[in-house]
Amino acid sequence: MANKSLIKKITGSREVLLAVILILLFIIVTILSPSFLTPKSLSDMLKNNAVTIIMSLGMLCVMLVGGIDISIMSSLALSGMAIGMLLKYEHISGTVLPFIIAILIGTACGFVVGLVISRANVPPIIATMGFMYIYRAMGYLISNGGEWASAAALGEFKDFATSNFLGLNCVIWVIIICYVIFFFFMKWTRTGRKIYAVGSNPSAAEVSGINVKNIKLMVYTIMGLLAGLGGALQVAVYASAMPDMQQGGEMDVIAACVIGGVSMNGGRGSVIGALLGSVILATIARALPLVGIDALWQNTIKGVLILVVVVVNVILQRIADRNALRGREM
Amino acid sequence: MAGKSGRSINNVPESPIKKMIFSWEGILVILFILVNIFCAFFSEFYNLSSVLRQMPIYLAEVFLMLPMAYILVMGEIDISIGSIVCLAATMSCIVCNTGAPFIVVVLTGLLVGTACGAVNGLVLTKFQELPTMIVTLATQIIFRGIAEIVLGSGGSISASNTAGFTAIGGKVGSVPYILFLVVILAVIFAVVLGKTTFGRRVYAIGTNRKAAYYAGIHVQKIRMIIYTVMGTMSGLCALFLVSSSFGANTTTGNGFEMDAIAMAVFGGISSTGGKGNLAGGIIAAFIIVCLRVGLGQRNVHAQVILLIVGVLLVAAVALPNIIGEVKRAVVKK
Repeated sequence: MANKSLIKKITGSREVLLAVILILLFIIVTILSPSFLTPKSLSDMLKNNAVTIIMSLGMLCVMLVGGIDISIMSSLALSGMAIGMLLKYEHISGTVLPFIIAILIGTACGFVVGLVISRANVPPIIATMGFMYIYRAMGYLISNGGEWASAAALGEFKDFATSNFLGLNCVIWVIIICYVIFFFFMKWTRTGRKIYAVGSNPSAAEVSGINVKNIKLMVYTIMGLLAGLGGALQVAVYASAMPDMQQGGEMDVIAACVIGGVSMNGGRGSVIGALLGSVILATIARALPLVGIDALWQNTIKGVLILVVVVVNVILQRIADRNALRGREM
Repeated sequence: MAGKSGRSINNVPESPIKKMIFSWEGILVILFILVNIFCAFFSEFYNLSSVLRQMPIYLAEVFLMLPMAYILVMGEIDISIGSIVCLAATMSCIVCNTGAPFIVVVLTGLLVGTACGAVNGLVLTKFQELPTMIVTLATQIIFRGIAEIVLGSGGSISASNTAGFTAIGGKVGSVPYILFLVVILAVIFAVVLGKTTFGRRVYAIGTNRKAAYYAGIHVQKIRMIIYTVMGTMSGLCALFLVSSSFGANTTTGNGFEMDAIAMAVFGGISSTGGKGNLAGGIIAAFIIVCLRVGLGQRNVHAQVILLIVGVLLVAAVALPNIIGEVKRAVVKK
């Protein structure tokens, strides 16, 4: 019986398990390389992975309703490229305006994706695959056929990523604000709970008066909004805009969510899980070169980690199910 | 019901000619003709011999579409194949550079592909609760990761002994070998999917997996076979890719999985399973190949072609749904 409750505890609270893994990871890396656990190093780590960390939130919402979005990095490139070109040809300047424009473009991208998925009943993977091509090509087209917006062209906008506010980098503040908003949104607002309801059982949600189509439209719009924000951050952090930025990065975001315990069938997952999942991925990416493992190994280790996490999850679930069955028999 | 075209289930008997034209395959054939007329007007170099000369690069992806159709019919997805192509191309280049006979090189490519596909199949059948998307996402990262490790810091390799690769890139008259192979394999895959017990079982799994299992179909065995064949075909694709580029790098095969899925879905194969047939997929594949050749001749950038493919893909799936909904709304009134 004691054995059963222990397993129940671990499977019951995915976040605790992840937090333990993250702390262990921190300890191991710090022992191997003391330079890891310095404020500068950690701040760099968060800054460089800000895009993945923030967009995991949107992917969490999308995966909660049982969908998936692989067009996000193309929306990111489109919105980032748009502000890059606007800044380069001096149509706009400053810091706030580019952010607003990027977020608006991203939101529009997400809204169109949401419309196609929720109103035309196109399977999410197919629809977002189509838009992955479309938005990436649009990003390429607005860049006049592959032009870059380099650091010099970005003016004061790129200073956003190097400036501090209350001792913390501004990019990290953006991460914190996003996570706090989403934590409350998902947990304590009616709309947030509706997202969970749609994901756990769409027909039950429909019967209980939730407009499933609108919720689906909303999650993809949220995803687009965060992709737009990600686009602005990407341009600011790397001080350049190019049409092929973050190509293939959507898989990192999905991986972060899966490691964080978000179920692909919908209905399961939490904001804390998404945070822990994306930070674990970021830590591994940061730590491998520090502990002397060649960067070439990074992808293989990441893939094996995802596979191990999902397989262990299934095994734990099977044990829990069997124990539950045995409990009922007695 | 896995209907013949899978696009509409209609109880009212129609005239066969009307049925043929208004089925998805009929529309695709018309589209294929339109695309060819468009390309001929768009580019003055567009004729049969130039198409035959330039199509081999694009045809390699059709190999991937064939087994991908089976996977989509089962209601699943495999996004690791681009990475399998990368790994198989890398390994066959390495073996080629050791001076091994060409048959060994071919076997290496096919075996590496098959092994990767078998790994996918093994994980997916042992842990059948797992969504295929996640498992193949992980293996996608792993296979490309292994290729990156093998390639080392340079990130690319070129085949020094190109005689064998030139040979398989050759042609009979003006028809390249690869076109024959594509046609033969397409016929085999289409017949197996449409006319044999195995194929009907694949549809049964895609329509209702549980019912198929209770009806005595070895669901896991069939999945294992299909994922392994998917790997073998990726190996074949890799070989023909090397035969045109004589090398491999870390980005080889990037996005191929999406192209293969796009061809199949554009051909009317539903990604939710149980619907569609390979005839549509093959016509769709040739539409995309012709479009790429035609637009490529006038130096239209690859991204613009992808834009068109993306629009076609979304429209191909969205339009029938929208039309169906409008029809239903009209009938209700």
